[in-house]
Amino acid sequence: MSAQPSGILASFRFVDAAADAVRRLKDEGYRDFTVYTPVPNVEIARAVGHRASPVRLWTLIGGLTGCASGFALTLWMSYDWPIIVGGKPIGSVIPYVVIAFELTILFGASATILGLLYHSWKTRQAGAYDNRFADDHIGIFVPCPPERREPVQALLQDAGAEEVQFAA
Amino acid sequence: MATIVRQDQITRPTYHEITRDIAATLGSPSRTYYVLLGIVVAVFAVGVGALLYQVRFGLGVAGYTPPVMWGVYITTFVFWVGIAHSGTLISAILYLFRSAWRTAVYRTAEAMTVFAVMTAGLFPVIHVGRLWYAYWLFPYPNQRQLWVNFKSPLLWDVFAVSTYFTVSTLFLIVGLVPDIAALRSTATGWRKKLYEITSLGWRGTDQQWRHYTRAYLYLAALATPLVLSVHSVVSWDFAMSIVPGWHATIFAPYFVAGAIYSGVAMVVTLLVPLRKVFKVERYITVEHFENLSKLLLLTGMIVAYAYAVEYFIAWYSGNPFEQQSFWNRAFGDYWWATWTMILCNGALPLFLFFRKVRRSIPALFVLSLFVNLGMWFERFVIIVVSLSHEYEPYAFGHYTPTWVEWSILAGSFGWFFMWFLLFAKNFPTVSITEVKEIIPLPRKERART
Amino acid sequence: MAESPNGMNRRRFLTVLGVTGGGTAALTGCSSDEVEKLIPYLVPPDNQIPGIATWYASTCRECPAGCGLHVRVREGRAVKVEGNPNHPVNAGRLCARGQASLQGLYNPDRVRGPLQRTADGSFEPIAWDDAIARITDTLGPGDPNIRFVTGYESGTFDRLVDGWLAAFGSTGRLVVEPLAHEAVRHASRAVLGIDAVPQYDLAASRYILSFGVDFLETWGSPVHQARAFAAAHGLHDGHMGRYVHVEPRMSLTGMSADEWVAPVPGSEAQLALAMAHVVLRDGLGTPPADAGRFSRLLERADPASAAERTGLSVETVERLAREFTTAPSVALAGGLGAQHDAAHATASAVAILNYVAGNVGRTVLFDDESPRPASAYEDVVRLTEAMRSGEIGALFVHGANPVHTTPGTLGFADAMASVPLKVSFARFLDETAAACDLVLPDHDPLEQWNDYVPRSGTHALQQPVMRPVFDTRQTGDVLLQVAARAGGAAASAFEVADYKAYLEAAWRELQRRLGDRRPFEQFWMDALQAGGVYRDPAVRAVSLPAELVTDDLADSWTVAGEGLALIAYPSPALYDGRGANRPWLQELPDPVTKVTWSSWVELHPETATEHGIAEGDVVELHSAYGSIRVPAYLYPGVRPGTLAVPMGQGHTGFGRYAEGRGANVLALLSPQPTAFGAIGTYVSVTLRVTGEHVFLPKTEGKPRQMDRGIAQAVTLAELEHGGHDDHHALHAAPVPEHIEEILDHWQEQQDDATRYGNYEGEHPRWAMAIDLSRCTGCSACVAACYAENNIPTVGAEQVRRGREMSWMRIERYFEGGEHGEPLETRVLPMLCQHCSSAPCEPVCPVFAAYHTPDGLNGQIYNRCVGTRYCSNNCPYKVRYFNYFDYQHPADPSFAWPDPLHWLLNPDVTVRAKGVMEKCTFCVQRIREAQHTATLEGRERVADGEIRTACQQTCPSEAIVFGDLNDPGSRVSRAAADGRGYHVLEGLNTRPAVTYLKKVRNLAEA
Repeated sequence: MSAQPSGILASFRFVDAAADAVRRLKDEGYRDFTVYTPVPNVEIARAVGHRASPVRLWTLIGGLTGCASGFALTLWMSYDWPIIVGGKPIGSVIPYVVIAFELTILFGASATILGLLYHSWKTRQAGAYDNRFADDHIGIFVPCPPERREPVQALLQDAGAEEVQFAA
Repeated sequence: MATIVRQDQITRPTYHEITRDIAATLGSPSRTYYVLLGIVVAVFAVGVGALLYQVRFGLGVAGYTPPVMWGVYITTFVFWVGIAHSGTLISAILYLFRSAWRTAVYRTAEAMTVFAVMTAGLFPVIHVGRLWYAYWLFPYPNQRQLWVNFKSPLLWDVFAVSTYFTVSTLFLIVGLVPDIAALRSTATGWRKKLYEITSLGWRGTDQQWRHYTRAYLYLAALATPLVLSVHSVVSWDFAMSIVPGWHATIFAPYFVAGAIYSGVAMVVTLLVPLRKVFKVERYITVEHFENLSKLLLLTGMIVAYAYAVEYFIAWYSGNPFEQQSFWNRAFGDYWWATWTMILCNGALPLFLFFRKVRRSIPALFVLSLFVNLGMWFERFVIIVVSLSHEYEPYAFGHYTPTWVEWSILAGSFGWFFMWFLLFAKNFPTVSITEVKEIIPLPRKERART
Repeated sequence: MAESPNGMNRRRFLTVLGVTGGGTAALTGCSSDEVEKLIPYLVPPDNQIPGIATWYASTCRECPAGCGLHVRVREGRAVKVEGNPNHPVNAGRLCARGQASLQGLYNPDRVRGPLQRTADGSFEPIAWDDAIARITDTLGPGDPNIRFVTGYESGTFDRLVDGWLAAFGSTGRLVVEPLAHEAVRHASRAVLGIDAVPQYDLAASRYILSFGVDFLETWGSPVHQARAFAAAHGLHDGHMGRYVHVEPRMSLTGMSADEWVAPVPGSEAQLALAMAHVVLRDGLGTPPADAGRFSRLLERADPASAAERTGLSVETVERLAREFTTAPSVALAGGLGAQHDAAHATASAVAILNYVAGNVGRTVLFDDESPRPASAYEDVVRLTEAMRSGEIGALFVHGANPVHTTPGTLGFADAMASVPLKVSFARFLDETAAACDLVLPDHDPLEQWNDYVPRSGTHALQQPVMRPVFDTRQTGDVLLQVAARAGGAAASAFEVADYKAYLEAAWRELQRRLGDRRPFEQFWMDALQAGGVYRDPAVRAVSLPAELVTDDLADSWTVAGEGLALIAYPSPALYDGRGANRPWLQELPDPVTKVTWSSWVELHPETATEHGIAEGDVVELHSAYGSIRVPAYLYPGVRPGTLAVPMGQGHTGFGRYAEGRGANVLALLSPQPTAFGAIGTYVSVTLRVTGEHVFLPKTEGKPRQMDRGIAQAVTLAELEHGGHDDHHALHAAPVPEHIEEILDHWQEQQDDATRYGNYEGEHPRWAMAIDLSRCTGCSACVAACYAENNIPTVGAEQVRRGREMSWMRIERYFEGGEHGEPLETRVLPMLCQHCSSAPCEPVCPVFAAYHTPDGLNGQIYNRCVGTRYCSNNCPYKVRYFNYFDYQHPADPSFAWPDPLHWLLNPDVTVRAKGVMEKCTFCVQRIREAQHTATLEGRERVADGEIRTACQQTCPSEAIVFGDLNDPGSRVSRAAADGRGYHVLEGLNTRPAVTYLKKVRNLAEA
């Protein structure tokens, strides 16, 4: 992680205020700000307006890989040392469906987690933080150099921030 | 949803109160906690001792009496796997159904799931004749140049149970992360360090939430078919064989229902003392118990129906082996086990039709204990009684467990509760984040008026 | 090898035989821990090729039958006994007791060297010379009034003993055989004027009527008779004989009967006489000219009075008489199963019946010279009195255990106390040996030179097959050494170096008598190789004596007062008790009750309910002479109001396997000899319920097959009218034609899919066929399987848990026997069926159970993890799990205490704790034969070249093994037989074992 950039950290009590602030920041052309919320919140999310998370793609690919490897594993291993049991075909696909299914789930789930970690890591943003944001406050951090702080401060205060401070 | 509205009208806790109250449950443990922990560890130790004895002298020290080659161990394996199911049901399936009341109870259920699978996983190993070779059931390149037999239902089990363990553990951890982040600030000492590490630098940024909510959704979507599959696979251990009383198509749904049934019962068994001790009655309310007991009633009746169907088909099939097998269940040497099962699982839950019972926590607690007992006996009846009378009358047998098996069974409870107690004191057993989630954030307008 | 606690044995064994620990390591199979004990051949003996077995011919001495043996020796150690195919008595077959003779040789409780009793009554080792000195000192010159008790001996040793006694001026010889034939000999004397036991030609008979003779178990020569019985009663191109068994108890022999007649105990004579009466009255059959001489005698024996005495119907009596004369028939009498105080009457009546039916000289034959008969029990009684009165100076006992085999109240042991010198030559510390002053252990029959004459014309040899296991000495040699040391007349009586020389001298004599002109060496070598010299016995002509001694025909035995009739019968496995120290025989389920390791009393279920007795309730039986406590066994095959207890248990010594097990039924019997000088095995008893309860260690679950068609039977009539091939309801359920096609199509696809790589199908398909019309349930195959496949014995406690390991079991099911229907017993040898679609295979997660290309259902022990799923999924329940570490010397459950583990078959793995095992179709024999074929450059193994252990020993040749892919093989032809069926066919397991339905030759209604 790079050294913490300086910027404005505002904390809100009211969700609609925070959302309002977000919208105005965006209108003013700020992009790289960060919103902290104790719980996922639709209003904020809508205001920030991200596209749907690419994690779902990981899930899909993981699942398909699992399914494929499930069949590959079972069939290859069956023919690697062919042994007849119970007069059944050596590569009996039907029972192998169970293995394939389980691997689908396993790979799918693991891939999802990896996706989650990867994307959260890729989209991480350094900035000031306050533990209250994990409790009951909503925080907005707008990185900006000291000389250009006033407009942002004003904007946030006006939007109804409880407190606004400059974090160096 | 009715539940939630009602909660609104009474005192709706603020976000801060939630954090505070739930963090309080992690306060320094009382003496009783240590006493409890001591007891369960002791019980677990007894189980370990019995197991070592069995490993030294051979499985003969257990009560196995051919043709009954599977006994208490497999029974208990299925029992714990079953317990594991309600957790994922509540956390995943109800999540997809968006039923808000789950938020208060799912963490407990999920933890229970993980620990129950950890317990269940021990039993196939305890059960096999040469447990030091149990790892041969995994497909790994070995000097025998031999792979495993994927046609064997036991292999399916290996995959199903290990997958289930992995996925439910991931699910639990993912759910925990934001909560741990919320606890970071208040925690002190080594706990603080622990939380700082385990919260994986969670800050609840817009980006994190964006990926998190998606990931959680898809995990739930994957866990849902998984939870249905796992116990189906377990049931196929039996249904895929030709043993009269096992070889039935109804087994998968029958087992899944039974699993959820027993699991919900165990959730109740755990929640009742938990909410008292942790003083979280405000979050886990009678409403929650009523919902759980409705789930109990539903699954219980499915199970009872399955019992009825089994007997009907045995009669209707005209297959003398099946008929003898089921006659033997009801009126043979093991009649007491069968009737215990029918009483506990089929009859007692019918009391849940009365709202009074559904809303009386002591009643529910007692009932849940009976259901747990009944479900253990269900597996005992299916496994042992079916095996005792198969095709060859000359080879009929009668099995009675020995002290070794009983000790190991008790030990498994020790092991399970040991983990649960440790968990409950170090991680929030009620989800902070999700309980908050169902309470809207304060809004400016409303504050002005 | 398995660490033998007694290092001496191992070292001596190795030095003597220069034999590798490799052999010994093989004994514990793959247990790798003691491999460092390997010792290579230092000086390889030229007759020893490691891994290649040497075979020696010898003679079985487990009972007086004297069957021929082939002993398989590996690395200088006997590992298996099999019948000698050239031997006229057993023609290559053996009974369970014969199979277990190895456990006599290697018994851990053998007397390991000469012993003498000390002041405090315990035994201490003594040097051979000192022991011999002690004897000579006592004997000294003159007649110290010696008595010499031996078991039944008919060869050179017999003569040696007599000669030796003579040399010491004594004639006090006794031959003690508890299961002797006093009654029959009495009858032959009385009716035909011949003091001999007749030879019954069962094979030539088509109608066999047995009056309590267990000719398939202990009586006479069971293996020989079983073969003959199969010839008479087995199905041969649509024809078979009929067999009726007359005895209050359905014995193992009676189980094979087409009809079981249970008369009032003691009244059998009346039945036989009445039948004879009817034969003469109606002029049935072809009676000899002088048969009429009996008519006056038979006048009073009319069917009506007989029916009244025997409790049978007049019709039955008349019918039996008619049947008896319609075919070449034979009536047998003189078994212990019917040896009550009036057994001589029965025997005489039966002799008369045989005579009037014209059987004497046709199926009832007398050898021209019959070997010396055993002494009667009354002689033992006399000896006892003589000993008690102190007349006896010295008592020598060899091959007999009178203390255990005589009624307790006779007090043989106490009487012995007043004999100054008592010498036992016993191999084990049995009750009699324990009461002796000197125990000079004889070699085991497999370690010694000897010969035996089972019947006139058959001279069988015994040769040592290996170096003696312990410091034992052959009794023949001991006697000669005593004589030599005594000097004088005694010494001069024997001019030979040792017993072998004495034996050879006897055989020179024999060669002269046989008029064999070859040099003796050659004669001797051939005899050794063949196991003896065999000549057909000359038959002597029989005619009625001038004067019929038949005054005692009216004698009969009846229960005293309110009592119940108790039958003491010899145990098929333990014989008179001499088998009780063989774990195999103890664990062998009794063929009738399926109980192991114990005694029991058989009661009819009705009698049981009358007295409120359930199975396992311990009852106390009181007779006028004593009482015993035994658990009850409910058996529909015993007449209501009659009890039966097997002999053989209740030892107070005789080693760890026999001691303190069950009760000795002889304690109940009268010490008084019967009118014909034998032990009366019937006695009146009263029973008292003790309230104690035990679980009988029996291997049986339910005695009824709940019409699951496991053991199937047809009647001869049905067979003739082809009405038998109705498929059993549970076998192949009828399916609509179009479904049938779909199924067949599906099956083809399955089969195609399994033709892959190794499984292309060029291999043979090993299979077995078992003919239930021949199987008698004698269980010889079970013992053979234990011997061949290193199966551990687990003991009574584990048998109670159903954990016996016997790969082959004889299932015994009852049919009928309730509300008036006649009781029918069916037996079915159950072993791994080696199914083509084996349910056990696919469920094994680690391929421990799999299918070999030649159709075997393989079980790979070292792959097995022990999930036991295979056993759950086996509908035949023929898989056995190692619940304990039976193969580890350090383990409490070790099954082969030193030196018992010497009998382990080096070709077969000894299985470890926690693995599943089962019948392999003796794969080691299959491979051996295939290797031989390859070495001889043959494509295939010839049909019949491979014989599984069970097949090899089956006395009635009920088992056939071979290649199903070869349409010409015997097994293919048997499998195609109309009677063929598969057990639980409906499960589509497609077993390799085909059973041929039992055939019942019922009386025409």
